[in-house]
Amino acid sequence: MAIFTSHRQTSARLWLALRLPDLPAHALGLAIDAPEPEVITAKRQLVWMNAAATTAGIQMAMDATTAQLLSGCTLHERDQCKEQLCLAELAEGLYQFSPYIETYNSEQVPQSGLLLEISSCLLLFGGTGALSSGIAQFIGQQNLTLVVGLAHSKAAAWLLSFAGYAISGDEEKTDFIELLKLLPIDLLHDFPKQVDALEKTGFITLADIARQIEAQTISSFKKRFGHEFADYLCELFGIDQDFQQNSLFETPVRLFQPSEYFAEQLQFDYPLHQLDQLQVPMETLLQKLAEYLRKRQLQTQHIEWVLSDIYHNRDALQVYADSPQSHWQLLFDLSLIQLENRDLPFEVDTLSLHCRAAMPVQARSHTLDFDLGRKINRHSFSITAAKLKARLGDASVYKLSYCDGYLPQDTNQRILLTEQSQQDLPEIHQRAQRPNWLLDSPSLIDVRKQGLYWRGRIRLIAGPERIQGNWWREPSARDYFIGLRQDQQRLWIFLDLHKQQWFVQGIFA
Amino acid sequence: MNHLPPDNPPAPGLEQLLCRGDIWRGRSPHSPVQQVVDTGYTQLNERLSGGGWPVASLIEVCQRTASYGEWHLLLPALLKSERGLVVLLNPPLSPFAQALLKAGIDLERLLIVEAKDKSDFLASFIELARSDACDAVMAWQPSQALSYTELRKCALASTEGQGIYVLFRPDAVRDQSSPAVVRLSLEWQAEQLSVSIFKQKGQLRADTSPVSLPLPLAWTGLLPHQQLDQLGKPKPKVASVTPIHGGRRGRR
Repeated sequence: MAIFTSHRQTSARLWLALRLPDLPAHALGLAIDAPEPEVITAKRQLVWMNAAATTAGIQMAMDATTAQLLSGCTLHERDQCKEQLCLAELAEGLYQFSPYIETYNSEQVPQSGLLLEISSCLLLFGGTGALSSGIAQFIGQQNLTLVVGLAHSKAAAWLLSFAGYAISGDEEKTDFIELLKLLPIDLLHDFPKQVDALEKTGFITLADIARQIEAQTISSFKKRFGHEFADYLCELFGIDQDFQQNSLFETPVRLFQPSEYFAEQLQFDYPLHQLDQLQVPMETLLQKLAEYLRKRQLQTQHIEWVLSDIYHNRDALQVYADSPQSHWQLLFDLSLIQLENRDLPFEVDTLSLHCRAAMPVQARSHTLDFDLGRKINRHSFSITAAKLKARLGDASVYKLSYCDGYLPQDTNQRILLTEQSQQDLPEIHQRAQRPNWLLDSPSLIDVRKQGLYWRGRIRLIAGPERIQGNWWREPSARDYFIGLRQDQQRLWIFLDLHKQQWFVQGIFA
Repeated sequence: MNHLPPDNPPAPGLEQLLCRGDIWRGRSPHSPVQQVVDTGYTQLNERLSGGGWPVASLIEVCQRTASYGEWHLLLPALLKSERGLVVLLNPPLSPFAQALLKAGIDLERLLIVEAKDKSDFLASFIELARSDACDAVMAWQPSQALSYTELRKCALASTEGQGIYVLFRPDAVRDQSSPAVVRLSLEWQAEQLSVSIFKQKGQLRADTSPVSLPLPLAWTGLLPHQQLDQLGKPKPKVASVTPIHGGRRGRR
């Protein structure tokens, strides 16, 4: 268990920590050098303040009300989602420097940043110094304050970003450890309970911890402060635990996956002014998209067409599919349906296809069916339904369901194609006579001396059936009859006992 | 090399051509075997040339109002379809779930498509007719009348499908030409639905005498007094009226 005496590097990893102290302000779009005092709070505690606020005497971790009373500063609520988005954007940009990028977030303190493993990129960029200055320049272009730390492990690099030393590029692991030893244990933000206990025992700097580990072993820390804290210390000081060949059991560094999306365009030899001329280029682009999706095992529900001309006019066309697609045919048909209803706004010079939202192909299960007879071809109909919805709108294609209710119109429910119909009809309705068509709202019957009139004279031939209830909303009492109109059409009519008026509600067809 | 097939396919023989359903064969009553769906009414099956509703053909029904007698005419045939979808395209009113469930229609297989605009209606009809998932499409003509060309498009699309395709149109268009394979009109009588088949493919002089489809017993209700003796049918039950004598007995 030689910890600091072993000069052999178990791995040649080199981590660069990029700490961004002004990230909360950057995410909210606040100017760092604003003349007015501005602070950011999380759960009413200050987590960031600008220079003007510091001058006004505000201190970190102060209560929001105290800070406001003290300086009249403007309060902003911290938005961690926006911070995450900023970090993701930065990671995309830093992918040009290293393929190994990890995000650092502390739940205890508002310190976020990125960690880059740069050992494999040093040759390309001409050494640590050149690489770190290149990265600093890139971050500077984003108007962000940057503090860097370089070390042999992630934890050590992050802590050394608080050390405030200049990176020369010639540092060895032992140099990093020596620098670490100077740091106070307060910086172990992720282990507040352990730090508290250590402080009570008299530990002040990391050197005290290192001395303790040298005197005894790491297992004493493991016993007292837990496995997690002991592992963290091992990573910090580069301690090989028990194994002879630690590098064999080292966690591999995760490769950063930049988000990618499909964007292709076709530029025409001459401007197109007819919709028909667009069909072949659209088909070509969609086939490329299908190939892209197939190779990556992806599928999509949304594509965007962008038409543009030589004067930089743009017109976008959004196409949404009912279900995720990895083939091009349905997307092509849906695009044509959309184009049918519009004219080209200008002579099209360039056609672009964008697909930003793609999702992994979901494993679908199919029921075993040994019946070779005809059955509903669900896949085929889902394409038909998607085309109908694209043309008519989602609300125009629906199913019907029964639902419990007192009034007839309340028992008829329109549902989406994906929903399940309720088909259990109560016994009382099974026995009763019901019309095939239901009027959306009952139509008033004209009552004359000779009788009831609704597009012809009506004679009652069966009934009544009383439907009474719904007292908690609008009390209703109706006597339903079957009426025979003079043209022999049978109608479902009722007498509203409250209003004393006759209405038609259905037609027996 | 001598065993290779010839480049040109053999010319179709006369027998093969006669197997096609669309070749006029004069007054010969012989017609190729056509796939049909039982209408559920014996008398109607006898009058339809194939013995039922022709599959993959446009059937046109002319009726006085948009919601007239279509369910009574088609319900038995719809109940025969077991797995395919039944689509109502542009229905005039909302179908009543209670009545359909009582009749035995599976609501999971019933779909409603609203296409009020004529161009949308045509595109939807063609799309539905081409889908092999539909067993039946019941379509109601939109408010704008369909021209012969548009009807022809519907008829052609129907030939690509495998179900029955029924188009409901107003009675006023009965005298206009239509490419539908079967054309009929409906009229309610006191005790039956009267169906007149006035055009059928392959019959030059259609028998226009109406076919009567009986009504469900419960629909007949109470008949007028003068008809009661003539029919001799049991009188349907109606709610009894009990006179209320509130409090008089107590006073005595």
